[in-house]
Amino acid sequence: MIPILFLLSVVVFALAKAMPGDALSGEIDPTKTDPQYIAEMRERLGYNDPIYIQYIRWLTGFIQGDFGKSFKYKMPVSDLIKERIPNTLFLGVCSLVITYILAFAMGIYSGKHPYTIGDNAIATFNYIALAIPIYVAAIVSIYFFSFKLGWFPSTGSVDIGLEKGTLDYWISRFHHVLLPALVLGAFNTASYTQFLRNDIMDNSRKDFVRTARAKGTSEKAIYNRHILRNSIIPIVTFLGFDIGSILGGAIITETIFTYPGIGQLFLNSLNFRDYAVFMAITMMISFMALLGNLIADLLYGVVDPRIRLE
Amino acid sequence: MSTATETTRSLAARQKSPSTWAIAARKFRKNRLAMAGLSFILLIVILSFLAPVIATQDITRVHFDQVEKKPSVEHWLGTDNNGRDVLTRLIHGGRISLTIGFSCVALVILIGTLIGAVSGYYGGKIDGLLMRFTDFVLLFPFLPFIIVINAIFIGKISGVWSLIIVISLLGWPGTARLVRGKVLAEKENEYILAAVSIGTKPYKIILKHLLPNVLSVVIVQASLLLAAFIVAETALTFLGFGVPQNIPSWGNMLSEARNSNVLRNKPWMWVPPATVITLTLLSINFMGEGLKDAFNPKSSR
Repeated sequence: MIPILFLLSVVVFALAKAMPGDALSGEIDPTKTDPQYIAEMRERLGYNDPIYIQYIRWLTGFIQGDFGKSFKYKMPVSDLIKERIPNTLFLGVCSLVITYILAFAMGIYSGKHPYTIGDNAIATFNYIALAIPIYVAAIVSIYFFSFKLGWFPSTGSVDIGLEKGTLDYWISRFHHVLLPALVLGAFNTASYTQFLRNDIMDNSRKDFVRTARAKGTSEKAIYNRHILRNSIIPIVTFLGFDIGSILGGAIITETIFTYPGIGQLFLNSLNFRDYAVFMAITMMISFMALLGNLIADLLYGVVDPRIRLE
Repeated sequence: MSTATETTRSLAARQKSPSTWAIAARKFRKNRLAMAGLSFILLIVILSFLAPVIATQDITRVHFDQVEKKPSVEHWLGTDNNGRDVLTRLIHGGRISLTIGFSCVALVILIGTLIGAVSGYYGGKIDGLLMRFTDFVLLFPFLPFIIVINAIFIGKISGVWSLIIVISLLGWPGTARLVRGKVLAEKENEYILAAVSIGTKPYKIILKHLLPNVLSVVIVQASLLLAAFIVAETALTFLGFGVPQNIPSWGNMLSEARNSNVLRNKPWMWVPPATVITLTLLSINFMGEGLKDAFNPKSSR
């Protein structure tokens, strides 16, 4: 994992350096600012040093938790990210909960009653949800739920002027996060539902189910205790990948809802050539993906002891 | 006795059992949803690529006297902020979006199949090295990396092509893994051993013996990729990081909806591209499912 992270840091740094322009060319109006001052600033920030020295300086700082300073926001990147991460995590967790609740409800129903009208309806819904791109879902839901019905706010993460920590504050936050989380969560159920449905169908034909029926276990207990426990195994491993994509998975949604999270910060940092922010976020997103893979591997072993033995 | 065997042989020769492709084609034709999807895609493709002939209105000129007109007889789907006809732009936009989609699929299939086949056929060190590399590229977060690399290329190569190259550069690992897995399984067969034993050159074995047998998987994968890449293009353009503003594409048209005034009060500007994108993706998915089903020997429909 360490060598991969090292390689990744080289790639990210190289990409940042290969991008045209730097923070100074984006921020300062060259007609108004003294070119000598810009040159001085470049020198002072070390933009004229050889590439490898710049890389080593960035990497050593990064390992020690110093991600540099944002040019746009005039504050340390770590503070900036610390400010945004709770929002993105909140959105990510809410959307995951929605996905799992919906997928479990639909998957269990479909697995129990395969090839019925309900099963077909669920399959149709998942098919359509899979085909609708997230940004289309987002703007359509803003149009209906925010503009036409006025149920949800369409921008931001909390109403202005509420004191942190109060009940109103949390209600407002939840109110703001619900629509993006629904868009993100409800349109992502297809693979989970399909997986659960097929697994339940497979398991319900197995011998242990026949045994359970033969000894007179109620149908409810068979499905909820015997089958579901086995069918959860493949789903649990999805969780690892979900955790891996929590930070980087909501870039589009956050931007459309102007929700102040990591994804929105990332796009802004690219627009303003704010490299310190951009590199830190890219590293974090990649690291989370790597971590997600690791968690998925570990979860395999936790839920299925047969894998641990090998 | 000998005549009996002869008749059975000649019978067998006359009633040749249908090939894999014939069976797949028959199954596909029977699948109504898949055929509907295919027809819709063909319709969109034909309309889009005939754009210069059927939609002759100038899409670059700004008409200040016809700004933001509602749908009417003159402009079937209304006009946008610059007085351009929405329908005309929709047709021209389809050309760009589909060109990007199909080009990316072609490039990704080419790269992925090449790497996957070489990796699976040779195995050993080459396999280890190529698969490590594949895993590494797979680790890159897709959307952020495309945005970044595209920002590097965009000034140097014309907008559409830079996006095609960048998506292809990052999109191939899944296909490579898939092809490698299939090749690994396929090369254990005796006919490959036979080909090796008579001294067939490796590239000939890969091209003539292995690839035809993994082609069905690649075709299904291509249909899935087409949907994924059309989504990628439109999403990036929607965010303002894809195709430049002056080129009409479905993503560019949809990005007008980021202006909340347009989103709230002028749905005719963003509903058409949103609908067309969704229908196209739905059709591609139906077609992909149909193909998967058609090539699956276990499904007997």
